[in-house]
Amino acid sequence: MTPPSRTPETLDEARSRADTEDAAARRRARRAALVHYLGMPVVLAGVLLALYLYVGGQELDSIEARTLTADNLIGQTRQHIVLTVYSTFFVLLLAIPMGIVATRPATRRFAPAIIGLGNAGQAIPSLGMLALLFYVFRTTPGLPSTGTVPVVVSLVGYSFLPILRNTMVGLDQVDRFVLEAGRGMGMSNGLVLRRLELPLAVPVILAGVRTALVLNVGTATLAFLFGGGGLGQTIFSGFQLRRTPVLLTGAVLVAVLALLVDYLAGLIEEKLSPKGL
Amino acid sequence: MTDRANADTAVSPAAAEGTGSSVMIDLIELTKRFPGTQDPAVDRLTLQIPRGEIVVFVGPSGCGKTTSLKMINRIIEPTSGSIVIDGEDVTTIDPNRLRRRIGYVIQQIGLFPHVTIEENVATVPKLLGWDRDRIHARVDELLDVVGLDPEIYRQRYPKELSGGQRQRVGVARALAADPPVLLMDEPFGAIDPITRTRLQNEFLRLQAELQKTIAFVTHDIDEAIKMGDRIAILREHSHIAQFATPEEILTQPANEFVEDFVGTGATLKRLKLSRVREVDYTTDALTGRIDEPREVLRRRLHESEWTAILLLDADGRPQRWLRGPDFLHDRPVTQLGLPARAFVEGHATLSDALEEMLLGSAGVAIVVDNRGSYLGILDIDDIITSIQTMRDADAEFHRAAKLVDPLDEVAE
Ligand SMILES: Nc1ncnc2c1ncn2[C@@H]1O[C@H](COP(=O)(O)OP(=O)(O)O)[C@@H](O)[C@H]1O
Ligand SMILES: [Mg+2]
Repeated sequence: MTPPSRTPETLDEARSRADTEDAAARRRARRAALVHYLGMPVVLAGVLLALYLYVGGQELDSIEARTLTADNLIGQTRQHIVLTVYSTFFVLLLAIPMGIVATRPATRRFAPAIIGLGNAGQAIPSLGMLALLFYVFRTTPGLPSTGTVPVVVSLVGYSFLPILRNTMVGLDQVDRFVLEAGRGMGMSNGLVLRRLELPLAVPVILAGVRTALVLNVGTATLAFLFGGGGLGQTIFSGFQLRRTPVLLTGAVLVAVLALLVDYLAGLIEEKLSPKGL
Repeated sequence: MTDRANADTAVSPAAAEGTGSSVMIDLIELTKRFPGTQDPAVDRLTLQIPRGEIVVFVGPSGCGKTTSLKMINRIIEPTSGSIVIDGEDVTTIDPNRLRRRIGYVIQQIGLFPHVTIEENVATVPKLLGWDRDRIHARVDELLDVVGLDPEIYRQRYPKELSGGQRQRVGVARALAADPPVLLMDEPFGAIDPITRTRLQNEFLRLQAELQKTIAFVTHDIDEAIKMGDRIAILREHSHIAQFATPEEILTQPANEFVEDFVGTGATLKRLKLSRVREVDYTTDALTGRIDEPREVLRRRLHESEWTAILLLDADGRPQRWLRGPDFLHDRPVTQLGLPARAFVEGHATLSDALEEMLLGSAGVAIVVDNRGSYLGILDIDDIITSIQTMRDADAEFHRAAKLVDPLDEVAE
């Protein structure tokens, strides 16, 4: 009730001590931030450099030289990225709204079943899933049987369930008393969804998106089997032709791409997650 | 007499007749039957809450208190019956519009964790479309009212606050658009006992000023007696066992259920009905200023009949207790004796004061005003005297007297 009275000296001393501690803490924080933001890109650049030096130091035979051209690798990397970005875009467009719809009061009782299905869907091996979807594309008249479209559709199909599941789990874990307080103050259902449920579910939803992105980079490696291109081509030709430099180049590029995507998604997750959580 | 008692006498005759505008909330045959359940959770609850009063719903767990309360702002839609607020039947109006006129405080608080304290408090004003400057000023005002410095807390996030501070924000948020009606469901239930007492007292002080109409749920009869202008003791299905003032409930329990629920030690509970300001506490205790020379203070104590002198700061706030022997030590006055503790305000109950005395070391409570400035000293004898005058010597009284005995030892 009565604030403890301090003499001016001790207050000043305390202030200057706090200032020094503050400055030290700020320096530490800056260093930590530097490592946090630059660590991964530097490591990845290092890996690429090592790969370049290793391949450059090899005597390449004609097959290797033909496969490992800059044009080839850049083209495949671009295809790989395009496949990943398209599939991620479409899966978000589909799975997040569905996750929202599936957690409304009227549909809530189906939520556990859908989440269970999501878990089961992830257990199916990606190649099997891809093959299955391709079979559907092949045998359905009017649908393209090779190229970007079927691959993107397959990737969407494969990452749909994890994102749907994370959206639902994310919305489900929001403290119900926070929502009750919102409703109790006269927020409409739409406002409760936009101002409370979605922002509070963002961390979990984005964790799902991040997983799906990395998953898609990996799964897109199989796209070449169905004429979708990507870095899978290089990996598999290296494998089939027993050319280690080729195999290694393809594999390292995919790994670097996956880690880079994970890193970027992590940054986005950090930016979009509400403060105060 | 107290403000509360005045409000009682002013309102109750009309309230009893159920006429005029003195009734703020009128619950008529309110019933809730949850889908898939046999018995109704709330069965034909009929109750009138007078304007400007706190009516407490109290009863055992599961008796339907929360359900009853949540039907008033239709967080739970009643199965049948009607709700009339300030003369308007609100049973079927747009619930969101209704809720913006009713403050809502729950035990779990439900602050929005992802936005600042300021944005939390600003929720309803924003919904009502107030302009930014008005909202900003209102938030500052409210944080001040609930005892949080706006400069410090405005931009903080809920997780950076203690439980007690969060519930202060919860109360500020409910008051934001100055709603005439407040619903509170065990608002202080999850807060440690000492902080709870403080929040209860502050809330009563606030209410004396604001005169809101409040429906307040608790399972704790002591809290009900302390907070309620009127208490509705509920039994299963929200059937009313008794609806009366705390005094009546303690002195004239309507039936065995109420008697059991109020429990033993009813006289001790009456300590919760008397306020410090109603007691003849000592106002001429020996005091000094903390910046006076120690020799002056020592002489003043020596020449008086008192065994200790209370030192106040420039604003009259008690700082330290000094006894004669304390002056033997060669230290600044600010480090002599014991820090002053056990502060109570005029509206605190004698029960609170007793508790404070037990926590303090001087065996007395210091009465202060709402800015913490010294008013007087309350000691155990004052409380015992007031117990003695409170009631004729019934059996309860002896039990209570026995309970008070050990305190003297603690006080020494
Ligand atoms: N949503 C609900 N669905 C079914 N039954 C409920 C629901 N909410 C409360 N009840 C039941 O209604 C009764 C009263 O509950 P409640 O009002 O929460 O009691 P109190 O607040 O007095 O402890 C209890 O038996 C409880 O189980
Ligand atoms: Mg309850």
